[in-house]
Amino acid sequence: MSLEPRRPVEHVIECENIGKSFPAPGGGRREVVRGITLRARENEFLALFGPGQCGKTTLINLIAGLDSVTSGRVLVNGETVREPGPERGVVFQSTAIFPWLTTMGNVEYGPRMAGMGRAERRRKAQRYIDLVGLRGFENAFPVQLSGGMKQRVGIARVYCNEPRVMLMDEPFGALDAQTRYLMQEELRRVWEAEKRTVVFVTNNIEEAIYLADRIVVLSNCPATIKREYAIDLPRPRNYVSPEFLGLRKEITSIMDSTL
Amino acid sequence: MMKIRLSRGMIDVLSGAASIGCFLLLWLALTRHTGLGELIPGPDVVLAALFKGLFGKVGRHGILVHAGYSLARVLAGFAIGGAAGVVIGLSMGWSRFAEAVFQPLYRVVRPIPPIAWIPISIIWFGLGESAKVFLIFLASFANVTLNAWSGARDADRQLIGAARMLGANQRQIFLTIVLPSAVPQIFAGLQVAMSNSWATVLAAEMVRSSEGLGWMIVTGMSNNDIVQILSGIVAIGVVGFVLSVAMRKAEALLCRWNHGGR
Repeated sequence: MSLEPRRPVEHVIECENIGKSFPAPGGGRREVVRGITLRARENEFLALFGPGQCGKTTLINLIAGLDSVTSGRVLVNGETVREPGPERGVVFQSTAIFPWLTTMGNVEYGPRMAGMGRAERRRKAQRYIDLVGLRGFENAFPVQLSGGMKQRVGIARVYCNEPRVMLMDEPFGALDAQTRYLMQEELRRVWEAEKRTVVFVTNNIEEAIYLADRIVVLSNCPATIKREYAIDLPRPRNYVSPEFLGLRKEITSIMDSTL
Repeated sequence: MMKIRLSRGMIDVLSGAASIGCFLLLWLALTRHTGLGELIPGPDVVLAALFKGLFGKVGRHGILVHAGYSLARVLAGFAIGGAAGVVIGLSMGWSRFAEAVFQPLYRVVRPIPPIAWIPISIIWFGLGESAKVFLIFLASFANVTLNAWSGARDADRQLIGAARMLGANQRQIFLTIVLPSAVPQIFAGLQVAMSNSWATVLAAEMVRSSEGLGWMIVTGMSNNDIVQILSGIVAIGVVGFVLSVAMRKAEALLCRWNHGGR
Protein backbone atom coordinates (compact mmCIF):
# COMPACT_ATOMS: atom_id res chain seq x y z
CA MET A 1 0.00 0.00 0.00
CA SER A 2 1.44 3.31 -1.00
CA LEU A 3 0.01 6.77 -0.88
CA GLU A 4 1.81 7.76 -4.07
CA PRO A 5 -0.48 7.33 -7.10
CA ARG A 6 1.21 5.35 -9.83
CA ARG A 7 2.06 6.94 -13.12
CA PRO A 8 0.68 4.44 -15.64
CA VAL A 9 1.83 4.48 -19.20
CA GLU A 10 -1.38 3.73 -21.03
CA HIS A 11 -4.78 5.04 -19.97
CA VAL A 12 -8.03 3.49 -21.12
CA ILE A 13 -10.02 6.15 -19.31
CA GLU A 14 -8.95 9.76 -19.02
CA CYS A 15 -11.09 12.35 -17.28
CA GLU A 16 -9.48 15.75 -17.74
CA ASN A 17 -10.57 18.32 -15.21
CA ILE A 18 -14.25 17.52 -15.64
CA GLY A 19 -17.10 19.41 -14.05
CA LYS A 20 -20.84 19.00 -14.10
CA SER A 21 -23.65 21.18 -12.85
CA PHE A 22 -27.40 20.92 -13.18
CA PRO A 23 -30.02 23.65 -13.21
CA ALA A 24 -31.17 23.99 -9.60
CA PRO A 25 -34.88 23.96 -8.75
CA GLY A 26 -34.79 27.46 -7.28
CA GLY A 27 -32.84 28.96 -10.21
CA GLY A 28 -29.08 29.06 -10.60
CA ARG A 29 -27.05 25.88 -10.94
CA ARG A 30 -26.08 23.11 -8.61
CA GLU A 31 -22.52 21.88 -9.00
CA VAL A 32 -22.16 18.14 -8.46
CA VAL A 33 -18.73 17.36 -9.94
CA ARG A 34 -15.80 19.76 -9.77
CA GLY A 35 -12.41 19.58 -11.43
CA ILE A 36 -11.92 15.83 -11.41
CA THR A 37 -8.90 14.43 -13.20
CA LEU A 38 -8.85 10.67 -13.26
CA ARG A 39 -7.02 8.03 -15.26
CA ALA A 40 -7.44 4.29 -15.41
CA ARG A 41 -4.97 1.77 -16.84
CA GLU A 42 -5.93 -1.21 -18.94
CA ASN A 43 -7.50 -3.90 -16.70
CA GLU A 44 -7.29 -1.76 -13.62
CA PHE A 45 -10.01 -2.11 -11.01
CA LEU A 46 -10.68 1.40 -9.81
CA ALA A 47 -13.07 2.12 -6.96
CA LEU A 48 -14.66 5.52 -6.47
CA PHE A 49 -15.44 5.74 -2.80
CA GLY A 50 -17.40 8.53 -1.21
CA PRO A 51 -20.22 9.22 1.18
CA GLY A 52 -23.63 10.61 0.42
CA GLN A 53 -25.76 10.82 -2.67
CA CYS A 54 -23.91 13.41 -4.62
CA GLY A 55 -21.63 13.20 -7.62
CA LYS A 56 -20.57 9.55 -7.90
CA THR A 57 -23.39 8.35 -10.12
CA THR A 58 -23.04 11.50 -12.19
CA LEU A 59 -19.37 10.73 -12.68
CA ILE A 60 -20.23 7.25 -13.96
CA ASN A 61 -22.89 8.69 -16.27
CA LEU A 62 -20.36 11.17 -17.65
CA ILE A 63 -17.85 8.43 -18.46
CA ALA A 64 -20.67 6.29 -19.90
CA GLY A 65 -21.88 9.17 -22.08
CA LEU A 66 -25.37 8.96 -20.54
CA ASP A 67 -24.80 12.55 -19.44
CA SER A 68 -22.55 15.26 -20.84
CA VAL A 69 -19.84 17.24 -19.06
CA THR A 70 -20.24 20.95 -18.33
CA SER A 71 -16.48 21.48 -18.46
CA GLY A 72 -13.39 19.41 -19.21
CA ARG A 73 -13.53 16.23 -21.26
CA VAL A 74 -13.72 12.47 -20.97
CA LEU A 75 -11.66 10.21 -23.20
CA VAL A 76 -12.03 6.46 -23.50
CA ASN A 77 -9.43 4.72 -25.65
CA GLY A 78 -8.24 8.19 -26.58
CA GLU A 79 -11.61 9.23 -28.03
CA THR A 80 -13.87 11.89 -26.59
CA VAL A 81 -17.04 10.45 -25.12
CA ARG A 82 -20.22 12.00 -26.57
CA GLU A 83 -22.88 9.34 -26.22
CA PRO A 84 -23.32 5.84 -24.76
CA GLY A 85 -21.59 3.08 -26.68
CA PRO A 86 -20.89 -0.64 -26.49
CA GLU A 87 -17.22 -0.16 -25.53
CA ARG A 88 -18.42 1.30 -22.22
CA GLY A 89 -20.67 -1.16 -20.37
CA VAL A 90 -22.66 0.05 -17.39
CA VAL A 91 -23.93 -2.04 -14.49
CA PHE A 92 -26.67 0.01 -12.86
CA GLN A 93 -27.63 -0.02 -9.20
CA SER A 94 -31.24 -0.53 -10.25
CA THR A 95 -29.98 -3.34 -12.58
CA ALA A 96 -31.97 -1.90 -15.53
CA ILE A 97 -32.18 -5.37 -17.03
CA PHE A 98 -34.98 -5.78 -19.58
CA PRO A 99 -38.02 -7.26 -17.82
CA TRP A 100 -39.53 -8.76 -21.00
CA LEU A 101 -36.39 -10.70 -21.83
CA THR A 102 -35.21 -13.89 -20.15
CA THR A 103 -31.75 -14.20 -18.62
CA MET A 104 -30.51 -15.46 -21.99
CA GLY A 105 -32.33 -12.66 -23.82
CA ASN A 106 -30.72 -10.04 -21.61
CA VAL A 107 -27.21 -11.44 -21.79
CA GLU A 108 -27.26 -11.92 -25.57
CA TYR A 109 -28.82 -8.48 -26.16
CA GLY A 110 -25.61 -6.61 -27.04
CA PRO A 111 -24.32 -9.18 -29.54
CA ARG A 112 -27.83 -9.50 -31.01
CA MET A 113 -27.98 -5.74 -31.63
CA ALA A 114 -24.55 -5.96 -33.23
CA GLY A 115 -25.96 -8.55 -35.66
CA MET A 116 -24.15 -11.65 -34.38
CA GLY A 117 -25.76 -14.92 -35.52
CA ARG A 118 -28.03 -16.77 -33.13
CA ALA A 119 -25.94 -19.87 -32.49
CA GLU A 120 -22.75 -17.93 -31.96
CA ARG A 121 -24.24 -15.35 -29.60
CA ARG A 122 -26.09 -18.03 -27.62
CA ARG A 123 -22.83 -19.89 -27.10
CA LYS A 124 -21.15 -16.70 -26.00
CA ALA A 125 -23.98 -15.67 -23.69
CA GLN A 126 -24.04 -19.14 -22.16
CA ARG A 127 -20.39 -18.76 -21.25
CA TYR A 128 -21.07 -15.60 -19.27
CA ILE A 129 -24.26 -16.98 -17.74
CA ASP A 130 -22.15 -19.87 -16.47
CA LEU A 131 -19.42 -17.49 -15.34
CA VAL A 132 -21.79 -15.53 -13.08
CA GLY A 133 -23.36 -18.74 -11.77
CA LEU A 134 -26.78 -18.52 -13.42
CA ARG A 135 -26.76 -21.87 -15.24
CA GLY A 136 -30.26 -23.31 -15.05
CA PHE A 137 -31.90 -19.87 -15.06
CA GLU A 138 -31.43 -19.13 -18.78
CA ASN A 139 -35.18 -19.07 -19.44
CA ALA A 140 -36.27 -17.26 -16.29
CA PHE A 141 -37.71 -13.77 -16.55
CA PRO A 142 -36.24 -11.10 -14.23
CA VAL A 143 -39.44 -11.02 -12.17
CA GLN A 144 -38.69 -14.61 -11.16
CA LEU A 145 -35.15 -13.80 -9.98
CA SER A 146 -33.89 -12.48 -6.66
CA GLY A 147 -32.10 -9.13 -6.37
CA GLY A 148 -28.65 -10.72 -6.39
CA MET A 149 -29.50 -12.87 -9.40
CA LYS A 150 -30.79 -9.87 -11.32
CA GLN A 151 -27.53 -8.08 -10.70
CA ARG A 152 -25.64 -11.15 -11.95
CA VAL A 153 -27.67 -10.86 -15.15
CA GLY A 154 -26.67 -7.18 -15.32
CA ILE A 155 -23.01 -8.10 -14.96
CA ALA A 156 -23.17 -10.97 -17.47
CA ARG A 157 -25.02 -8.73 -19.94
CA VAL A 158 -22.23 -6.19 -19.87
CA TYR A 159 -19.46 -8.81 -19.94
CA CYS A 160 -21.02 -10.54 -22.94
CA ASN A 161 -20.85 -7.30 -24.90
CA GLU A 162 -17.06 -7.22 -24.39
CA PRO A 163 -16.65 -3.56 -23.50
CA ARG A 164 -13.20 -2.06 -23.03
CA VAL A 165 -14.45 -0.47 -19.85
CA MET A 166 -16.98 -1.58 -17.25
CA LEU A 167 -18.68 1.11 -15.21
CA MET A 168 -20.41 -0.18 -12.10
CA ASP A 169 -22.65 2.19 -10.21
CA GLU A 170 -23.15 0.83 -6.68
CA PRO A 171 -24.19 -2.48 -8.20
CA PHE A 172 -24.66 -4.14 -4.82
CA GLY A 173 -26.16 -1.12 -3.04
CA ALA A 174 -29.68 -2.52 -3.03
CA LEU A 175 -28.72 -5.98 -1.73
CA ASP A 176 -28.83 -7.29 1.83
CA ALA A 177 -25.50 -7.63 3.65
CA GLN A 178 -25.21 -11.40 3.16
CA THR A 179 -25.90 -11.29 -0.56
CA ARG A 180 -23.59 -8.33 -0.86
CA TYR A 181 -20.60 -10.29 0.51
CA LEU A 182 -21.44 -13.13 -1.81
CA MET A 183 -21.63 -10.83 -4.81
CA GLN A 184 -18.34 -9.12 -3.94
CA GLU A 185 -16.68 -12.52 -3.89
CA GLU A 186 -18.37 -13.48 -7.17
CA LEU A 187 -17.35 -10.27 -8.88
CA ARG A 188 -13.74 -10.73 -7.77
CA ARG A 189 -13.78 -14.26 -9.18
CA VAL A 190 -15.37 -13.19 -12.47
CA TRP A 191 -13.03 -10.23 -12.86
CA GLU A 192 -9.96 -12.36 -12.17
CA ALA A 193 -11.18 -14.92 -14.70
CA GLU A 194 -11.66 -12.20 -17.33
CA LYS A 195 -9.99 -8.95 -16.52
CA ARG A 196 -11.49 -5.66 -17.64
CA THR A 197 -10.94 -2.04 -16.83
CA VAL A 198 -13.50 -1.36 -14.12
CA VAL A 199 -14.70 1.82 -12.49
CA PHE A 200 -16.67 0.77 -9.45
CA VAL A 201 -18.69 3.29 -7.45
CA THR A 202 -19.45 2.43 -3.84
CA ASN A 203 -20.18 3.97 -0.48
CA ASN A 204 -19.00 0.83 1.27
CA ILE A 205 -15.31 0.98 2.20
CA GLU A 206 -14.93 -2.78 2.78
CA GLU A 207 -16.24 -3.43 -0.71
CA ALA A 208 -13.78 -0.93 -2.17
CA ILE A 209 -10.77 -2.41 -0.34
CA TYR A 210 -11.84 -5.97 -1.12
CA LEU A 211 -12.15 -5.40 -4.85
CA ALA A 212 -10.03 -2.52 -6.05
CA ASP A 213 -6.46 -2.01 -7.27
CA ARG A 214 -6.86 1.63 -6.45
CA ILE A 215 -9.37 3.63 -4.43
CA VAL A 216 -10.17 7.21 -5.27
CA VAL A 217 -11.79 8.92 -2.30
CA LEU A 218 -14.28 11.60 -3.28
CA SER A 219 -15.67 14.44 -1.26
CA ASN A 220 -19.38 15.08 -1.11
CA CYS A 221 -21.15 17.70 -3.19
CA PRO A 222 -19.55 18.79 -5.38
CA ALA A 223 -17.47 15.65 -5.83
CA THR A 224 -13.76 16.38 -5.87
CA ILE A 225 -10.85 14.00 -5.44
CA LYS A 226 -9.62 13.99 -1.86
CA ARG A 227 -7.11 11.20 -1.90
CA GLU A 228 -6.02 8.09 -3.76
CA TYR A 229 -4.92 4.76 -2.34
CA ALA A 230 -3.24 1.96 -4.23
CA ILE A 231 -4.18 -1.40 -2.74
CA ASP A 232 -1.38 -3.92 -3.16
CA LEU A 233 -2.83 -6.74 -1.08
CA PRO A 234 -2.96 -10.13 -2.80
CA ARG A 235 -6.39 -11.49 -3.81
CA PRO A 236 -8.63 -12.92 -2.51
CA ARG A 237 -8.35 -10.46 0.33
CA ASN A 238 -9.14 -11.17 3.93
CA TYR A 239 -11.67 -8.75 5.40
CA VAL A 240 -10.14 -9.08 8.86
CA SER A 241 -6.41 -9.11 8.09
CA PRO A 242 -4.42 -6.35 9.88
CA GLU A 243 -3.55 -4.68 6.56
CA PHE A 244 -7.19 -4.65 5.49
CA LEU A 245 -8.38 -3.25 8.79
CA GLY A 246 -5.56 -0.70 8.87
CA LEU A 247 -6.52 0.64 5.46
CA ARG A 248 -10.14 0.69 6.42
CA LYS A 249 -9.39 2.69 9.53
CA GLU A 250 -7.20 5.13 7.67
CA ILE A 251 -9.68 5.81 4.88
CA THR A 252 -12.61 6.04 7.27
CA SER A 253 -10.72 8.52 9.43
CA ILE A 254 -10.04 10.91 6.57
CA MET A 255 -13.74 10.76 5.68
CA ASP A 256 -14.73 11.55 9.25
CA SER A 257 -12.35 14.48 9.50
CA THR A 258 -13.93 16.22 6.56
CA LEU A 259 -17.60 15.66 7.17
CA MET B 1 -63.15 -35.11 9.68
CA MET B 2 -62.62 -35.52 6.01
CA LYS B 3 -60.89 -32.73 4.25
CA ILE B 4 -61.18 -32.23 0.53
CA ARG B 5 -58.39 -30.22 -0.94
CA LEU B 6 -59.39 -28.13 -3.90
CA SER B 7 -57.06 -26.15 -6.11
CA ARG B 8 -57.46 -22.39 -6.21
CA GLY B 9 -58.79 -22.59 -9.78
CA MET B 10 -61.39 -25.23 -8.86
CA ILE B 11 -62.64 -23.07 -5.98
CA ASP B 12 -62.99 -20.10 -8.33
CA VAL B 13 -64.95 -22.13 -10.88
CA LEU B 14 -67.20 -23.70 -8.26
CA SER B 15 -68.03 -20.45 -6.53
CA GLY B 16 -68.74 -18.81 -9.90
CA ALA B 17 -71.08 -21.66 -10.84
CA ALA B 18 -72.75 -21.47 -7.44
CA SER B 19 -73.44 -17.75 -7.78
CA ILE B 20 -74.94 -18.17 -11.25
CA GLY B 21 -77.02 -21.12 -9.94
CA CYS B 22 -78.32 -19.03 -7.03
CA PHE B 23 -79.21 -16.20 -9.38
CA LEU B 24 -81.17 -18.57 -11.64
CA LEU B 25 -82.96 -20.13 -8.65
CA LEU B 26 -83.89 -16.72 -7.30
CA TRP B 27 -85.16 -15.69 -10.73
CA LEU B 28 -87.15 -18.91 -10.99
CA ALA B 29 -88.66 -18.53 -7.50
CA LEU B 30 -89.60 -14.90 -8.09
CA THR B 31 -91.33 -15.59 -11.42
CA ARG B 32 -93.18 -18.62 -10.05
CA HIS B 33 -94.36 -17.21 -6.76
CA THR B 34 -94.63 -13.43 -7.13
CA GLY B 35 -96.18 -10.91 -9.50
CA LEU B 36 -92.85 -10.70 -11.37
CA GLY B 37 -93.98 -13.72 -13.39
CA GLU B 38 -96.40 -11.50 -15.30
CA LEU B 39 -93.59 -9.18 -16.39
CA ILE B 40 -90.87 -11.62 -17.43
CA PRO B 41 -90.74 -15.35 -18.13
CA GLY B 42 -88.75 -17.65 -15.87
CA PRO B 43 -85.20 -18.80 -16.62
CA ASP B 44 -86.49 -22.23 -17.64
CA VAL B 45 -88.54 -20.67 -20.44
CA VAL B 46 -85.68 -18.40 -21.58
CA LEU B 47 -83.08 -21.18 -21.53
CA ALA B 48 -85.45 -23.49 -23.40
CA ALA B 49 -85.97 -20.79 -26.05
CA LEU B 50 -82.22 -20.23 -26.23
CA PHE B 51 -81.60 -23.94 -26.64
CA LYS B 52 -84.28 -24.17 -29.31
CA GLY B 53 -82.79 -21.16 -31.09
CA LEU B 54 -79.38 -22.84 -31.19
CA PHE B 55 -80.73 -25.60 -33.41
CA GLY B 56 -83.85 -24.02 -34.85
CA LYS B 57 -84.28 -20.52 -36.22
CA VAL B 58 -84.95 -17.05 -34.88
CA GLY B 59 -86.06 -15.08 -37.91
CA ARG B 60 -83.93 -16.32 -40.82
CA HIS B 61 -81.03 -17.85 -38.85
CA GLY B 62 -80.18 -19.84 -35.75
CA ILE B 63 -78.78 -18.00 -32.72
CA LEU B 64 -75.26 -19.20 -33.47
CA VAL B 65 -75.44 -17.63 -36.93
CA HIS B 66 -76.75 -14.38 -35.45
CA ALA B 67 -73.92 -14.39 -32.94
CA GLY B 68 -71.52 -15.19 -35.79
CA TYR B 69 -72.70 -12.14 -37.76
CA SER B 70 -72.23 -9.86 -34.76
CA LEU B 71 -68.83 -11.38 -33.98
CA ALA B 72 -67.59 -11.09 -37.56
CA ARG B 73 -68.49 -7.40 -37.61
CA VAL B 74 -66.75 -6.86 -34.29
CA LEU B 75 -63.61 -8.69 -35.32
CA ALA B 76 -63.33 -6.86 -38.64
CA GLY B 77 -63.74 -3.40 -37.10
CA PHE B 78 -61.63 -4.31 -34.06
CA ALA B 79 -58.76 -5.60 -36.18
CA ILE B 80 -58.65 -2.42 -38.29
CA GLY B 81 -59.20 -0.09 -35.32
CA GLY B 82 -56.71 -1.93 -33.12
CA ALA B 83 -54.01 -1.97 -35.80
CA ALA B 84 -54.52 1.72 -36.62
CA GLY B 85 -54.56 2.58 -32.92
CA VAL B 86 -51.31 0.72 -32.24
CA VAL B 87 -49.53 2.32 -35.19
CA ILE B 88 -50.72 5.86 -34.54
CA GLY B 89 -50.41 5.61 -30.76
CA LEU B 90 -46.87 4.22 -30.90
CA SER B 91 -45.80 6.85 -33.40
CA MET B 92 -47.23 9.55 -31.15
CA GLY B 93 -45.32 8.14 -28.18
CA TRP B 94 -42.07 7.79 -30.09
CA SER B 95 -41.95 10.92 -32.21
CA ARG B 96 -42.59 14.45 -30.97
CA PHE B 97 -43.59 15.40 -34.50
CA ALA B 98 -46.27 12.70 -34.81
CA GLU B 99 -47.54 13.67 -31.37
CA ALA B 100 -47.85 17.32 -32.40
CA VAL B 101 -49.67 16.36 -35.60
CA PHE B 102 -52.14 13.81 -34.23
CA GLN B 103 -52.79 15.01 -30.70
CA PRO B 104 -55.22 17.92 -31.36
CA LEU B 105 -57.31 15.88 -33.78
CA TYR B 106 -57.30 12.93 -31.44
CA ARG B 107 -58.35 15.04 -28.45
CA VAL B 108 -61.41 16.30 -30.34
CA VAL B 109 -62.48 12.97 -31.85
CA ARG B 110 -61.97 10.79 -28.76
CA PRO B 111 -64.83 12.08 -26.55
CA ILE B 112 -67.43 11.48 -29.28
CA PRO B 113 -69.19 8.20 -28.44
CA PRO B 114 -69.24 5.76 -31.39
CA ILE B 115 -73.04 5.60 -31.49
CA ALA B 116 -73.11 9.33 -32.30
CA TRP B 117 -71.61 8.33 -35.66
CA ILE B 118 -74.45 5.95 -36.55
CA PRO B 119 -76.46 8.41 -38.68
CA ILE B 120 -73.42 9.65 -40.58
CA SER B 121 -72.10 6.12 -41.09
CA ILE B 122 -75.42 5.17 -42.70
CA ILE B 123 -75.27 8.24 -44.95
CA TRP B 124 -71.67 7.49 -45.92
CA PHE B 125 -71.71 3.72 -46.16
CA GLY B 126 -75.37 2.82 -46.61
CA LEU B 127 -77.00 0.00 -44.70
CA GLY B 128 -74.46 -2.74 -45.43
CA GLU B 129 -71.60 -4.17 -43.47
CA SER B 130 -69.15 -1.32 -44.01
CA ALA B 131 -71.22 1.11 -41.91
CA LYS B 132 -71.09 -1.29 -38.96
CA VAL B 133 -67.41 -2.06 -39.39
CA PHE B 134 -66.72 1.68 -39.55
CA LEU B 135 -68.54 2.21 -36.24
CA ILE B 136 -66.63 -0.58 -34.53
CA PHE B 137 -63.41 0.80 -35.95
CA LEU B 138 -64.24 4.08 -34.21
CA ALA B 139 -65.21 2.28 -31.00
CA SER B 140 -61.90 0.40 -30.77
CA PHE B 141 -59.50 2.94 -32.24
CA ALA B 142 -59.59 5.58 -29.50
CA ASN B 143 -58.71 3.44 -26.48
CA VAL B 144 -55.96 1.54 -28.24
CA THR B 145 -54.40 4.76 -29.51
CA LEU B 146 -54.42 6.33 -26.06
CA ASN B 147 -52.82 3.32 -24.41
CA ALA B 148 -50.22 2.70 -27.10
CA TRP B 149 -49.34 6.38 -26.94
CA SER B 150 -48.85 6.53 -23.19
CA GLY B 151 -47.18 3.10 -23.18
CA ALA B 152 -44.55 4.24 -25.67
CA ARG B 153 -44.12 7.65 -24.09
CA ASP B 154 -43.62 6.21 -20.61
CA ALA B 155 -40.97 3.68 -21.67
CA ASP B 156 -38.34 3.58 -18.91
CA ARG B 157 -35.55 6.11 -19.71
CA GLN B 158 -33.03 3.99 -17.87
CA LEU B 159 -33.83 0.92 -19.96
CA ILE B 160 -33.40 3.03 -23.09
CA GLY B 161 -30.05 4.21 -21.69
CA ALA B 162 -29.09 0.59 -21.00
CA ALA B 163 -29.96 -0.38 -24.58
CA ARG B 164 -27.86 2.49 -25.95
CA MET B 165 -24.87 1.50 -23.85
CA LEU B 166 -25.22 -2.03 -25.20
CA GLY B 167 -24.99 -0.64 -28.74
CA ALA B 168 -28.61 -0.49 -29.91
CA ASN B 169 -29.46 2.10 -32.59
CA GLN B 170 -32.68 4.13 -32.69
CA ARG B 171 -34.63 1.58 -34.72
CA GLN B 172 -33.51 -1.25 -32.43
CA ILE B 173 -34.42 0.78 -29.35
CA PHE B 174 -37.92 1.25 -30.72
CA LEU B 175 -38.38 -2.41 -31.59
CA THR B 176 -36.71 -3.99 -28.55
CA ILE B 177 -37.44 -1.48 -25.77
CA VAL B 178 -40.28 0.93 -26.55
CA LEU B 179 -42.57 -1.60 -28.22
CA PRO B 180 -42.35 -4.38 -25.60
CA SER B 181 -42.67 -1.93 -22.73
CA ALA B 182 -45.89 -0.62 -24.31
CA VAL B 183 -47.42 -4.09 -24.79
CA PRO B 184 -49.14 -4.41 -21.38
CA GLN B 185 -50.76 -1.01 -21.81
CA ILE B 186 -51.74 -1.79 -25.39
CA PHE B 187 -53.43 -4.93 -24.16
CA ALA B 188 -55.33 -3.04 -21.50
CA GLY B 189 -56.52 -0.72 -24.30
CA LEU B 190 -57.47 -3.65 -26.51
CA GLN B 191 -59.57 -5.12 -23.71
CA VAL B 192 -61.55 -1.92 -23.26
CA ALA B 193 -61.80 -1.57 -27.04
CA MET B 194 -63.18 -5.09 -27.32
CA SER B 195 -65.99 -4.46 -24.86
CA ASN B 196 -66.71 -1.08 -26.50
CA SER B 197 -66.87 -2.78 -29.88
CA TRP B 198 -69.24 -5.41 -28.60
CA ALA B 199 -71.54 -2.73 -27.19
CA THR B 200 -71.36 -0.74 -30.41
CA VAL B 201 -72.16 -3.60 -32.77
CA LEU B 202 -75.37 -4.27 -30.85
CA ALA B 203 -76.37 -0.61 -31.04
CA ALA B 204 -75.62 -0.55 -34.76
CA GLU B 205 -77.62 -3.72 -35.35
CA MET B 206 -80.52 -2.37 -33.36
CA VAL B 207 -80.63 0.71 -35.54
CA ARG B 208 -80.56 -1.11 -38.84
CA SER B 209 -79.81 -4.71 -39.82
CA SER B 210 -81.51 -7.96 -40.75
CA GLU B 211 -79.40 -10.34 -38.64
CA GLY B 212 -77.19 -10.38 -35.53
CA LEU B 213 -77.86 -10.47 -31.80
CA GLY B 214 -78.79 -6.77 -31.78
CA TRP B 215 -81.37 -7.47 -34.48
CA MET B 216 -82.71 -10.35 -32.36
CA ILE B 217 -83.51 -8.22 -29.35
CA VAL B 218 -84.87 -5.29 -31.33
CA THR B 219 -87.27 -7.52 -33.35
CA GLY B 220 -88.22 -9.16 -30.05
CA MET B 221 -89.26 -5.72 -28.94
CA SER B 222 -91.31 -4.99 -32.10
CA ASN B 223 -93.07 -8.38 -31.82
CA ASN B 224 -93.54 -8.00 -28.08
CA ASP B 225 -91.63 -11.30 -27.70
CA ILE B 226 -89.98 -10.94 -24.35
CA VAL B 227 -88.57 -14.49 -24.46
CA GLN B 228 -86.66 -13.63 -27.64
CA ILE B 229 -85.34 -10.42 -26.07
CA LEU B 230 -84.14 -12.25 -22.99
CA SER B 231 -82.56 -15.12 -24.89
CA GLY B 232 -80.80 -12.53 -27.05
CA ILE B 233 -79.51 -10.77 -23.92
CA VAL B 234 -78.25 -14.02 -22.45
CA ALA B 235 -76.48 -14.83 -25.73
CA ILE B 236 -74.90 -11.34 -25.72
CA GLY B 237 -73.65 -11.93 -22.19
CA VAL B 238 -72.19 -15.32 -23.04
CA VAL B 239 -70.38 -14.09 -26.15
CA GLY B 240 -69.06 -11.03 -24.29
CA PHE B 241 -67.77 -13.29 -21.54
CA VAL B 242 -66.02 -15.57 -24.01
CA LEU B 243 -64.41 -12.57 -25.72
CA SER B 244 -63.05 -11.16 -22.47
CA VAL B 245 -61.65 -14.55 -21.44
CA ALA B 246 -59.97 -14.89 -24.84
CA MET B 247 -58.41 -11.43 -24.47
CA ARG B 248 -57.13 -12.25 -21.01
CA LYS B 249 -55.58 -15.50 -22.21
CA ALA B 250 -53.84 -13.72 -25.08
CA GLU B 251 -52.54 -11.10 -22.67
CA ALA B 252 -51.27 -13.69 -20.21
CA LEU B 253 -49.42 -15.40 -23.05
CA LEU B 254 -47.83 -12.25 -24.50
CA CYS B 255 -47.03 -10.55 -21.21
CA ARG B 256 -45.70 -13.60 -19.39
CA TRP B 257 -42.72 -11.55 -18.19
CA ASN B 258 -45.09 -9.19 -16.37
CA HIS B 259 -46.81 -11.82 -14.28
CA GLY B 260 -44.33 -13.25 -11.82
CA GLY B 261 -44.42 -17.03 -11.54
CA ARG B 262 -48.06 -17.27 -12.55
